[in-house]
Amino acid sequence: MDQPAVATISAQKIHKSYGALAAVDSLSFTVKPSTCFAFLGPNGAGKTTMMKILYGKAKRDKKAGTALSVLGFDPEKHELEIKSRTGVVPQEDNLDVELDVLANLKIYARFYHIPGKEARKRIDGLLEFMELSDKKRSRIRDLSGGMKRRLLIARALLGNPELLILDEPTTGLDPQVRQLIWDKLRQLKSQGVTILLTTHYMDEAFQIADNVMIMDQGKKLLEGNPRELLGKHMETWVLEVTDKAAAKSFDHAGKKKIRREDAGERVLFYSNDPGVLSKMAARLAAGQYHLRPVNLEDLFLRVTGRKLNEIQ
Amino acid sequence: MKSSRHVYPPLLSRILGVWYRHMKVYTKNIFSNGFPPFVEPLIFLLGMGIGLGGQLKLEAFGTSNYVMFLAPGLIMTTAMFTAAYECSFGTFIRLEFDHVYDGMIAAPMTAGNLLGGEILWAGTKGFFFSSAVLLTVSLFGVINTPLALLAPFVGFLTGLMFGALSLLITSFVRTINHFNFYFTGLLSPMFFFSGVVIPVAKLPAGLREAAEVFPLTHTVRLSQALCLSRFSIVNLLDLVYVAVFIAGVTALAVMRLKKRLID
Repeated sequence: MDQPAVATISAQKIHKSYGALAAVDSLSFTVKPSTCFAFLGPNGAGKTTMMKILYGKAKRDKKAGTALSVLGFDPEKHELEIKSRTGVVPQEDNLDVELDVLANLKIYARFYHIPGKEARKRIDGLLEFMELSDKKRSRIRDLSGGMKRRLLIARALLGNPELLILDEPTTGLDPQVRQLIWDKLRQLKSQGVTILLTTHYMDEAFQIADNVMIMDQGKKLLEGNPRELLGKHMETWVLEVTDKAAAKSFDHAGKKKIRREDAGERVLFYSNDPGVLSKMAARLAAGQYHLRPVNLEDLFLRVTGRKLNEIQ
Repeated sequence: MKSSRHVYPPLLSRILGVWYRHMKVYTKNIFSNGFPPFVEPLIFLLGMGIGLGGQLKLEAFGTSNYVMFLAPGLIMTTAMFTAAYECSFGTFIRLEFDHVYDGMIAAPMTAGNLLGGEILWAGTKGFFFSSAVLLTVSLFGVINTPLALLAPFVGFLTGLMFGALSLLITSFVRTINHFNFYFTGLLSPMFFFSGVVIPVAKLPAGLREAAEVFPLTHTVRLSQALCLSRFSIVNLLDLVYVAVFIAGVTALAVMRLKKRLID
């Protein structure tokens, strides 16, 4: 039955507008089975809207050339087929606060039509997987933010999904919980689950995503493997100079090999040659600079711009 | 986690899933939630029966005391109010504040299934509240015909009607305070002019016709038929009205609220 070559999600020229605002503007992308795909973009980039279109929570605009297939189905016509094979972890907690952990999961087991005995087994297994077994009888209001997020993930996994959609899964969580969640997502991926997530954290995307799509104002700016994107679009090293005045002396330095970027109070010097940058750094005092490898956030800021948009 | 299955839960299971969620949340605080329907009618019957009953000419009501006239109507108004609260304030909070629907709609159910479950739950609460009032008034000997045992089923229909109507109202509401117009402007008049406290026939002209438009009038008449053994051909028309109202208003409410559930 399985055809690994077939994409889990195939989106072509998806549009979605609210009044005059184009939230999603001709987006095309492909997510391969058992991979992790991340939407990156500032607030208002259309990440959440695009996610909602995938499982039928939002309707895409009818336009020529538009096509969408999720697990082989078009959400316009087969939302139930998609939803029964997909788990969704929302951005905002929507657990039933009056109830305990077990009751919250039992309710969703009903939604997925899992028979009682099987449901109990699966709930126990998922609580163990998300390291929540000792919280089974706790009320939601007594859980920490990290526990609630883990519970939302457990809830999304109840239907044994082939596709797991997560909207900012680690926003506001402490480093321990973030690491734990990343680890669980890697495990799920190795079990064959396809993962689609949105995030504002570039290190998160770098850690767990096989492919990313950087978007802004509903449009795709870049798509690809994060390491390959870095190699293609960025130098390997950057010297951050935190003192504008100190950066002045570099005004004529090594024009060929260095790219200069002014970012607020800082000046950034990019180069593929760390030797050149460390020579420059040697002329600065210890607290005035930071020499480090270029990361995804540098690329992100380069392509989406450093200025804030009107909803940030 | 393999893909050979293309199945999803059957229709009834999808709707009952929503019902199950509400039942779980409601019964979590069963004592505080279940207390009002048993006690409120007592207060009302005592107040109206003792206070007002002695002052009335009973021939207008056709019962041997005023409380007997009042009871079948109260069995319906309690169903009306509980269904209305559930599908106005309750629905609005689930939709806008708690985001409960956002989670549910991501599970295998359509917006229509979800709203169908809401209305079914409103009907169930109507049944439960009607039963509570019936039990209370029966204990005091106000009602003593076995046919009255069917009144909670009419309470179920009342719950469905006002569940659907309240969802339709909710589809127009942008801030939760707007429900005040619904409760004060529509439901309160219905309470007084649907044959609950005064027979429709005794209402002044104009109001009498208006009463026939009100949905509550028809289930009150059905409840009085069962509790007071006053059957007539009009009861068949009442049933037709109820069926058409539930079907029509549900369809309208689902059509309009779908747009709030799906962007």
